[in-house]
Amino acid sequence: MDMSQLLVALLACPLITACVSAVLPSKSVPRAAFVFVHMVMVVCVCAGGLLLAGSVFAGADVFALDEWLHVDRLSAVFVALIAVIGACTGVYSIPYVAHDVADGKLEAGQVKQYYVFFSLFVFSMLVATTSNNIIMMWVSIELTTLSTVFLVGVYRTKLALEAAWKYVIVCTAGVAFGLFSTLLVYANAADVMADAHQAVFWTAILPYAGQMDHVLMMIAFVFAAIGFGTKAGLFPMHTWLPDAHSEAPSPVSGLLSGVLLKCAILVIIRFYILVAASVGYGFVQTIMLILGVLSVVFSAFAVYKQHDLKRKLAYHSCENVGIIAVCLGFGGPIGVAAALIHCVAHGLVKSLMFCLSGNVLMKYGTRDLTKVQGIMQAAPFTGVLMVVGFLALAGFPPFAMFVSEMAMVLSGIQAQLIPVVIVVIAALVVVVAAIMNVISGSVLGCAPEGTPRKDVSPLALLPEVVLVAFIVWFGVAMPGPLCGSIGDATGVVLQQDMSEFADNGLFDEFNAVFAGGTEGVER
Amino acid sequence: MLDFSLVNVLGACLIITSMTVVLARTGAGAAKLYALQSAVLVSLLAVLGTVTGSTELYMWSVSAFITKVVLVPCILLFVLKKITATAPGVAVDLPPKLAPMKCVALVAVEVFACFVVVSGIDLPTAAAVKPTLAVAFAHFFIGLTCIVIQRSVVKQIFGYCLMENGSHVTLALLAPQAPELVEIGIATDAIFAVVILSVMVLTLARKAHTLDADDLCELKG
Repeated sequence: MDMSQLLVALLACPLITACVSAVLPSKSVPRAAFVFVHMVMVVCVCAGGLLLAGSVFAGADVFALDEWLHVDRLSAVFVALIAVIGACTGVYSIPYVAHDVADGKLEAGQVKQYYVFFSLFVFSMLVATTSNNIIMMWVSIELTTLSTVFLVGVYRTKLALEAAWKYVIVCTAGVAFGLFSTLLVYANAADVMADAHQAVFWTAILPYAGQMDHVLMMIAFVFAAIGFGTKAGLFPMHTWLPDAHSEAPSPVSGLLSGVLLKCAILVIIRFYILVAASVGYGFVQTIMLILGVLSVVFSAFAVYKQHDLKRKLAYHSCENVGIIAVCLGFGGPIGVAAALIHCVAHGLVKSLMFCLSGNVLMKYGTRDLTKVQGIMQAAPFTGVLMVVGFLALAGFPPFAMFVSEMAMVLSGIQAQLIPVVIVVIAALVVVVAAIMNVISGSVLGCAPEGTPRKDVSPLALLPEVVLVAFIVWFGVAMPGPLCGSIGDATGVVLQQDMSEFADNGLFDEFNAVFAGGTEGVER
Repeated sequence: MLDFSLVNVLGACLIITSMTVVLARTGAGAAKLYALQSAVLVSLLAVLGTVTGSTELYMWSVSAFITKVVLVPCILLFVLKKITATAPGVAVDLPPKLAPMKCVALVAVEVFACFVVVSGIDLPTAAAVKPTLAVAFAHFFIGLTCIVIQRSVVKQIFGYCLMENGSHVTLALLAPQAPELVEIGIATDAIFAVVILSVMVLTLARKAHTLDADDLCELKG
């Protein structure tokens, strides 16, 4: 199969389904028609995304549309993430929307709006991850904002509209910094490259990065970190995130937190690679470390004091994006690999948790944790999944986030930044305490009197079970192909051959740190 | 007459006109002043095209005229008219959170800081237009200031437009030979952003019955 055509088809599919849903009249066409079109998109994106990612991991990079699109081993990780989480939240959307319709929260027009913009959202994230054109990369990140604002505000209540406005204005202004950064890189590249038309392509710019103006590249990275960091939810640009995540429908919150934040991280990593190739790793690592540590510490306390389940989870997203930034700040093969594993692990865990928060909303009709009690008793299956999800979120073994957080600590030790490691671990302890509070106060205990003992529909539970299976699987025995692909993606970030990471060599690297080896650390 | 010094003079005009947009008392006034500001930007692009011999910049000036001088102000004036018609009780022209003199002082600090940063850049294409490059950087921060200090969400949209104009000037100064596709991509995206922000403003006026950013602070913590 021609992978270039598959890549184009993968992008075309959600765009076409969005257009089809948009032209269907909302009042005369039954909801089932929108669900059918939505499911076509979900299945095609899942199958196509995994096939494309698998093919890139096994073979060579894929280019399409005159090099405008490019999937390398780094972006393939994110394409796979969109495929899996897009499918899980897509399936979960069906019972969730049906429940909201039955509850009178959504009317026919809003249901149509939901499915149209869900497809557009998936499309914009796929463009962001597969774009080789740096201008299009920015446009696609901007498009993610524009496509999701109507999902965040779909309920049209004052609070939902407030969240949507804050989201769109903060992210649009923030991403304008990203535009500025993109233009600085482009202008710089056009100045040193013979063909200015090639200066829009990331792959074409990279070999010339060393010749670019260092001050301009450093300014560009600061702007990129602020601009795309706003979209990623890094402190102090995170202000939109708790509002948007809490007011959006739960499957959208899952997709926002699980994948969108990671797409922004991917764009930051693209700039990290370019600027590191120009001015060295020291500058980019320092910026990421500062933003990361601030995000982790601030969010840890915000997580602790929150009583709104979805806001708590949203702040948890800030904290975990901070962890990813800290990993990139520590640098070196283990640090970068830890960042990428955390992108995958946190994406899976957080989409699970937001879906489970949807179960809680369907069951209790509130997100207030002081009113939500005895989930295990009222909805046993949801309760069990929630305990697993919260423990995974706390970074406990044997779940996937334990691997990445452990790797983060090791990379910090290897980079000889022990005080930073201690600060981050202290913040993580606060988060664990917050999570234990929720488990003991809301998941366990007695359900309020009169609460019927009945779980949500099996269709709502199915994607959650799939996500739990992935989280346990990746934590207990990370599959060789994934480990190899993380190693390859790390190689792309560090512009080094990382073939030794294949066949679980990543863990040999961890063992080397335990044994006290710190050679080859680049700071 | 048509040399880089004229580019730098137009750069100074950009700062003055953007200040007037920030300080405008009414939304309609801000829209008209934004059109004026964009006209200065169009002139700057055309002059820069003549000075550098870049035919692409002539095309940019044409597309910038259509999008920034005509389309964006028209969209925003249309939205203001719609708000008055469909949500008559909603106040649009709210005073900013910062007094005008404080605002001018803040902008002066931003311009100075941008001049300091730009002095460290060593790029051949930027050598003759460093003052304008500093202005373009500053423009960006003036836009951000506008978003932060305005209470009216309509006026916050102008902040985004100013930021986008700053990026546009930077691109023209640093990469005058950039393909038109780059410029068209950015301009199209900006139009989409303005349209969606306008739709959101209209929805806020109709459903939430407010356009005051201070009223949109219920979600806290």
